[in-house]
Amino acid sequence: MENDFSRVVDALPGLVWTALPDGHVDFVNQRWSDYTGGAEWLDGVHPDDLPGFLERWRFILASGNAGEMEARLRRFDGPYRWFLFRTNPVSDATGTIVKWCGIAIDIDGRRQAEDAIRAREDRFRSIVDEIPALITLMTPTGDLEFVNRQVVDYFGAPLEQLQGWPTGDTFHPDDRAGVRAAWRRSVETGQAFDFEGRRRRADGAHRWFQVRGFPLRDAAGRILVWYLLHTDIDDRKRTEALLAGEKRLLEMVAGGEPMPAILEALCRLVESTTTGCYCSVVLVDRSGARLEHGAAPSLPASFITSIIGRPVDARSGPCAMAAYSNEQIVAPDLQSETRWAESAWCPMAMAHGLRSCWSTPIASRAGKVLGAFAIYYDQPGPPRALHQNVVERFKHIASIAIERMQNDAALKRSEAFLAETRRITSTGGFTKRVATGEILWSDEVYRIFDFDPAAPLTLERIKSRVHPEDLLSFQDMLDRQHRGSDYEHDYRLQMPDGSVKYLHVVAHASRDQDGELVYIAAVQDVTQRRLSEEALAKTRSELARVARVSSLGALTASIAHEVNQPLSGIITNASTCLRMLAANPPNVDGARETARRTIRDGNRASDVIARLRALFSKQDAAAEPVDLNDAARKVIALSLSEIQRSRAILRQDLAESLPPVTGDRVQLQQVILNLLLNGLEAMGGIEDRPRNLVIRTEQEGEDRVRLTVQDSGTGFDPHSADRLFEAFYTTKTGGMGIGLSVSRSIIESHQGRLWASPNDGPGAAFSFSIPQRARDARSAGGLGAVWTSAVKDTQYVLRNP
Amino acid sequence: MVKPSLVSVVDDDESVRESLPDLLQELGFAARAFASPEEFLASDCINETRCLILDVAMPGMSGPDLQRELALRRQDIPIVFITAHGDGAVRPQLLEAGAVECLFKPFSDTALLGALNSALRVH
Repeated sequence: MENDFSRVVDALPGLVWTALPDGHVDFVNQRWSDYTGGAEWLDGVHPDDLPGFLERWRFILASGNAGEMEARLRRFDGPYRWFLFRTNPVSDATGTIVKWCGIAIDIDGRRQAEDAIRAREDRFRSIVDEIPALITLMTPTGDLEFVNRQVVDYFGAPLEQLQGWPTGDTFHPDDRAGVRAAWRRSVETGQAFDFEGRRRRADGAHRWFQVRGFPLRDAAGRILVWYLLHTDIDDRKRTEALLAGEKRLLEMVAGGEPMPAILEALCRLVESTTTGCYCSVVLVDRSGARLEHGAAPSLPASFITSIIGRPVDARSGPCAMAAYSNEQIVAPDLQSETRWAESAWCPMAMAHGLRSCWSTPIASRAGKVLGAFAIYYDQPGPPRALHQNVVERFKHIASIAIERMQNDAALKRSEAFLAETRRITSTGGFTKRVATGEILWSDEVYRIFDFDPAAPLTLERIKSRVHPEDLLSFQDMLDRQHRGSDYEHDYRLQMPDGSVKYLHVVAHASRDQDGELVYIAAVQDVTQRRLSEEALAKTRSELARVARVSSLGALTASIAHEVNQPLSGIITNASTCLRMLAANPPNVDGARETARRTIRDGNRASDVIARLRALFSKQDAAAEPVDLNDAARKVIALSLSEIQRSRAILRQDLAESLPPVTGDRVQLQQVILNLLLNGLEAMGGIEDRPRNLVIRTEQEGEDRVRLTVQDSGTGFDPHSADRLFEAFYTTKTGGMGIGLSVSRSIIESHQGRLWASPNDGPGAAFSFSIPQRARDARSAGGLGAVWTSAVKDTQYVLRNP
Repeated sequence: MVKPSLVSVVDDDESVRESLPDLLQELGFAARAFASPEEFLASDCINETRCLILDVAMPGMSGPDLQRELALRRQDIPIVFITAHGDGAVRPQLLEAGAVECLFKPFSDTALLGALNSALRVH
């Protein structure tokens, strides 16, 4: 029987042992011995497992109930294998435990599988914990099952406290309703979940997250678990918001919004990125010397007013310094800042709750500093990276807005200036499309024509204003427009009140985008100028007349001398002739000779009169070829006795083959005469040196001729050289001081110039130079108007002495 | 026959130099004409000349210059000035300086004869 039992025990599929009630092992079966190689019961247990194993064994013994333990047991050949130790008490009839029976079953295969699973789970866990994203697992009914470490770190709360999600308050209040509805829909339909919302961080700040959820299904399609991935998209969201803001700002710039509105929106945009941050833009004023207000939507007025008007320098504060130095100025802590102590800027800023500040200059494309962009924080600290990026970008927008505003202002000023100029100069503009005859007038043209701008503008209406005498040339001008060349035209208007307006038109021909001929023209009311010119011409002719009378006066003695000389000869010869005829016998031959001389002297007197007439009487100012040598000789001939009387020595230094000039001979001779008489007068008081007078002609350059009258007289003060030519300026007691001014007018009307230069030695030289031939026929004719009337006046004087 | 008194004429005007000597001869004088004071001074007629008809304004030496020069040389020749500048201002000065007469051109033969007679009578 015992052998049978023993065989049975050995046949059991396990290692069997029995123990006394105190736990002492009193039997192991053959399998145990075979497995352990005959080791004592506890000797085979793995040393790591032994303490737990013993504790458990003692606990079971004390409890008196069946129990289990797991431990590794060493096989006879070395390796340990996991075993499940099961034990049951054996009681006698009284219930007293008399023995413990146990069996150890090899569970090593199962145990290893379990370890592998656990290791895998641990690895998964650590991976999930390390993924830089918030990951949660949700039950199919939508309750929280698992969160990774990032979730715990972000919310600062363990899984248990997060159970309320998603109905809880971890979302921004504005996003809660949305996320709840979306999650409910996903749980109900099993469709993937996708939601963007702000979630509150442990420190209370909200950050944007994108939450995406995917259901995991079993083979039957039932949802086992929801995987939820929360991605922090806050930086992206901010960037998007800034980009949207930047786009909005650029739209404002492009849309021509006023600069203050743009700068204000810019400040608000930057402020919206961070709490406790304030922005301002200050501008450099037109003088470049002072700050003026740009925008500061969130800063108190008292702060702004204490900055505006400060000088742009390194002492007046961070913005003034940034604008002054064209460099970013950073003040991380105003408490310890010392740079602007002189202007007490820091205490002022701190009184407004500001603790740090940094200011960035805003420069134009050309590099000129337009202003400064400042960011203030209510905490000390350096500029934040986000703001640095923002400012880098936005200062360009600010620069564009400011520069545009300044350009607009300059344009407006320029337009206002132009409008004012047009008004002052009575200049209007018009355009005319030649093909259609369509005419557009500016307001000033309507004013000039005295037309009602409301009434339709027709060519007939315009012609009705044109002075009847100018209608032909006006029509000619209209005809000329079809040729498409630029033109200038003068015509008169006959106004309803009988007055006459003089207009000057300058028209430029151009082609529009369709290639149509379009005239752009300026119309100037030159009535005032014309009237002034007439008044001036009258004055000048008066002056010229006076000058002429004056030179006549100076020449009276000379003329008398010139006439008296031949007269004297005539009378003497005539007396001789009479006496010769009265002699007895009459001396006929002598009488004939003296009579011949009488005739010759008569001719000589006649020549003098002819020269006088040539000098002083002329019908019209003319543009004729004039030989300056010849003109000079004629003047000299008439002035010889004057030269003699002045006891001057005249030297003629006339260039050979001098080309003729184009001009009015009489006028040019008057100038020469005037210079000659001036030279003689200048030497009037000279006794200690020869009174030398030189008249010189010469070629000047390639196309001008110069005449110089040089004296050795008193000269002139170089400081008053210009005044010599002013009317009524004279250094002579007897002179009126108009000769040189009139002479200069004459020379200038010949496109020439007249000047004075001191000699190296005593005296002065007066020269004029004029072109060989007038440059164009028109200007040559132009010297007519004034001088014709002057000559006529002179004629009048000569005829009515 | 009494040798006619020599009257010298100094004038830069050629027609005077041509016409005046003929008239002087008609009036009974011997006459010589000179174009300038310098020419007269260089001539051998100074001592012979009983009367000098002298133009006032001439290039180079003027009539009054010659008058002064002759005074310096103690040549006491009576002088009749003639001038074409009829302003009269110069006449008293010339007379003051010792001239016999100052005639304004044109002058009549009577006026000339009167002046010459005064000049010759004085001496």
